Amino acid sequence: MAELVDCMLDLMRRLPPTRTEENVNALIAICPDYADDLLGSVDQPLQLKTDRATGRDYLACDYNRDGESYRSPWSNEYDPPLEDGTVPTPRLRKLEITANEAFDTYREMYYEGGVSSVYLWDLEDGGFAGVVLFKKGTSLIELRAHISTQLQIPIPARFCYWCPRAAMTPSSDQEPSGSWDSIHVFESGERGRQAHYKLTSTIMLQLTTHQASEEGNENEKKAAAATGHTKTKDIQFKRNGEVTIGGSMTRQHEQDWPIHDPSSHITNTGKMIEEMEIKMRNSLQEVYFGKTRDIVYDLRSVDDLERARRQRELQKELVGFIKR
Amino acid sequence: MDTSERIQIASSFLLQAPPGEINDVLNDVRNIISDDEALQVGVKPALREYNLDQFITVEAPGMNHQCIVSEAARISGNDEEEERFVDPRSKTSFVFDHLGLEASDPRPYELDVEAEPLRSALEAATLAYLKAHFYDGVASVFSKGDGVHEYTIQVVANKYNPANYWSGRWRSEYVINFEKGKVTGKVLVNVHYYEQGNVQLTTTHDISFNLPPGITAGDNSAAPKILALIEDEEGKYQVSLNETYQEMSEKTFKSLRRALPMTRSKLDWDKILGYKLGAELSGSKEGYAAS
Repeated sequence: MAELVDCMLDLMRRLPPTRTEENVNALIAICPDYADDLLGSVDQPLQLKTDRATGRDYLACDYNRDGESYRSPWSNEYDPPLEDGTVPTPRLRKLEITANEAFDTYREMYYEGGVSSVYLWDLEDGGFAGVVLFKKGTSLIELRAHISTQLQIPIPARFCYWCPRAAMTPSSDQEPSGSWDSIHVFESGERGRQAHYKLTSTIMLQLTTHQASEEGNENEKKAAAATGHTKTKDIQFKRNGEVTIGGSMTRQHEQDWPIHDPSSHITNTGKMIEEMEIKMRNSLQEVYFGKTRDIVYDLRSVDDLERARRQRELQKELVGFIKR
Repeated sequence: MDTSERIQIASSFLLQAPPGEINDVLNDVRNIISDDEALQVGVKPALREYNLDQFITVEAPGMNHQCIVSEAARISGNDEEEERFVDPRSKTSFVFDHLGLEASDPRPYELDVEAEPLRSALEAATLAYLKAHFYDGVASVFSKGDGVHEYTIQVVANKYNPANYWSGRWRSEYVINFEKGKVTGKVLVNVHYYEQGNVQLTTTHDISFNLPPGITAGDNSAAPKILALIEDEEGKYQVSLNETYQEMSEKTFKSLRRALPMTRSKLDWDKILGYKLGAELSGSKEGYAAS
């Protein structure tokens, strides 16, 4: 049984991250019994929703879902409404409210926009668990959030339900677009004046650039006139292309922290998540712009390899000649 | 869900396989579908489509070089005959096993006589270009024949490094049509990096340009001239890709999330909670006073 889940997860680790939702749904269609396993272990882009009561945006994922409804961290209400939807105990809800405010400040400091949500739930062994979510896109989501703040009125999310996808579509040529989704899941267990935290963080990042150009006669003519070549002047080039780097990265970390009062859980997880995001942002930078680029250069070289080979041979020959 | 629908989903998974990972995907799919009999027959069309699209390479039978199995390499025959592919370089046709990735039953194949001088000149120039710019590249050059002056150059370079969790593929194709005086090409790059994650680079680049009047099918120097244009174009593309990387890193990535807040230091979490509580308190006071 476990082996089948492993195969599904291995498959999801190989298939294009841009098609995760579609592929997870296809897997669920084949093996409906594994729906919960899959939805619980394959991270998918967060959905943006608007709280009907407060007009504030929140993020929807498997952790605030009950049936077909999602709970807002701001009003604690389910949408569509649920009579008996699962909610945290009053004590934990109080902590959840403070956590949402604290991480909203964190979001503003690091993301300067976007949306955050924190959800907490009680664990059977007496501890509790939670998820801290951040989402930021470079296009419509931001625009809507910005207008909303400027006008001091909420703009319904239906105006950009298509945003997660729209965020991938560049608004104009040459202009890159991107989206960032952070999912930090943690478990906390208290041991006297200490708490043990287990944090699993996933960041999904997608960047797209569209490029199109036409190279007419003008430049070529000038160049041809300057060099005296006439053969290249009549070549017209048309180019059209797209570059997409997308994917996700997951890291885990465990740590003990002292607790003085319930709010210590927020400062403790806050510090852990901040540290983790800083580390992961560095790793993303390295993998996205370093590793994948290096691999392209492992396939093809801009410089002439033959010329370099000949140079090396010549050098060897000269060294041999001098030694003699 | 019936078997044919399951096979259809399995096929779509196979078609999405990253470079060099088709067997890993097939292995996962096998366990998920757990119906080997249906799978063996059912996914054959998908494996064939994948191989042809991805310019899968195979050692030409009895030769010391690799050739590309693609739509351009397919010899159109009638439907009853077994499908065969051609390696123009060794003038050999063969049957290709899309699961085992092996060539068999080699037979001599006669290429279009009229097109052959230019085709082989393009092949020589392409192989020289390959040596100059690709580390493990394979190329095949095909002629359409039957009096049509059309030639197809295909290039593929693969690097698979499962031990370090990455793989990459560069594909180029150029269709040179002398009647239209036009070259239509595309460059496709795929990179998969999957250590503690799943990151994929996908690029598409379509290019078309007209053949300058100086280059004709009868011209002896046509082949090196065309390859010089391709070399220039691909070099420019690779450099522009570098610029795109830089722009994405310095603009888009930075605008999504800062490395550190404006204050250039990490947050003071005790203060954040303090501010919050303070703000709440003063907020409620104000509200109280206002009412």
